[in-house]
Amino acid sequence: METGWYPVALAEGLERGTSTGTRLFGRELVVWRDSAGASHVWEDRCPHRGMRLSFGFVRDNHIACLYHGWQYDTAAQCRYIPAHPDLAVPGTIRVATYPSIERLGIVWAWNELDSAAPQEIELAERAAVTPVRSLYVDASAAKVFDALVLAECPPLKNAGGATQRSRTDALVSFKNGTDEILVAVQPLSDVEAALHIVIAGSPDIHGSDSQKRVSAWGEALRRDVEGTPQARELRHEVAP
Amino acid sequence: MSGITLYDFELDENCYKVRLLLSILGLSYRKVAVNMVPGREHLGPVLMALNPRGSLPILTDGAVVLSEAEAIMTYLARAYDAGNTWLPPAPKDHGAVTMWLQFAIRDLHAAFFARRLAMFDETGDEVALSLAARRAFRLMEDHMTAREFDRAAWFVGDNPSLADLALFPAIALSRDFGIEHEAYPALRRWMRRVRTIPGFVTMPGIPDYY
Repeated sequence: METGWYPVALAEGLERGTSTGTRLFGRELVVWRDSAGASHVWEDRCPHRGMRLSFGFVRDNHIACLYHGWQYDTAAQCRYIPAHPDLAVPGTIRVATYPSIERLGIVWAWNELDSAAPQEIELAERAAVTPVRSLYVDASAAKVFDALVLAECPPLKNAGGATQRSRTDALVSFKNGTDEILVAVQPLSDVEAALHIVIAGSPDIHGSDSQKRVSAWGEALRRDVEGTPQARELRHEVAP
Repeated sequence: MSGITLYDFELDENCYKVRLLLSILGLSYRKVAVNMVPGREHLGPVLMALNPRGSLPILTDGAVVLSEAEAIMTYLARAYDAGNTWLPPAPKDHGAVTMWLQFAIRDLHAAFFARRLAMFDETGDEVALSLAARRAFRLMEDHMTAREFDRAAWFVGDNPSLADLALFPAIALSRDFGIEHEAYPALRRWMRRVRTIPGFVTMPGIPDYY
């Protein structure tokens, strides 16, 4: 597992006041957006009894554990324990967090818990992006990259010539003419990966039509990568 | 008080589909609690006389006796949905709703069995059922992803329909049989919309918050 920035969700798909569970290299994360619009990526574990926080719920700027209702603020600090309403909650009770940032319409997490100063994310922001979808694939991230570096870019609005591909650690860019598709790859476990797909350019240009084309392209890629359902075993792996 | 009676098992997702629609349509009804697990009361002589299939739910309304959730939902929509929105009459939407009802019965049957296996210790091939359930959920996810590109919020047409109600329980309860919602972002957003339908009710396993 290499330390670095990894995608964990499409920014637009993460609605205010909601949370979701996901994984990086088998480790469980909760990704949530508070009512003010800021996104957070934390370890998916309530310090009280280890319950997954993604089973809980977001209210205003707190996320609450389903188990005993302990509430955590946006700094991951426990602020309220329902069983002890008058207690001033000790500052030591907090959830472990991952540094996170939104870039290219994607929520990224630095996969080192409670690290104070991660390396700057080296992704050039595009002027505007059109989100397409997150696609979950029953194959390793390595296998997904193998397929991506051979894939052709589907024609969108301004295609021309051959597909130009470039890759960083977690992101592949496909350019064709002035069209550009960006695919960020999230290693969920050794045998599962998620693709977070966006189109560089405004939704005014790429809404609906291009989104559908790129989504279908992603589904075809998923079929190629996975092979036939009989040939694989579906798993949901979690690190011990 | 209407003459509707529902033979119901609280933990059964098919009974829940009918309770959900009855609540949304604002219909009062008599609920007969049947101890399906562990009591197996649904296989006793009284209910077998009503429904030789030995399944729940069973709904009676005067002389009408129906089993199978989707059939009951279709009946209730025709009989009591004055606005005609839950089973839309336009051929295109009607066909699509019927297709998804069929999907809820056939493709999601694996999810039903996977949950029975996990919750009630029934027999079955856990791996095969989980694989089939995930295949069905993926088809739903791909469909709702495409719908969102058209700014559409529901499985069919511009309004919630029986399709949404029949498809909701299996995915909402999927954690009961070990399938997380991680891989289904479009279905997560859709499930939140389903919860906003006036008259929405929950069942055990579906929390009343989101």
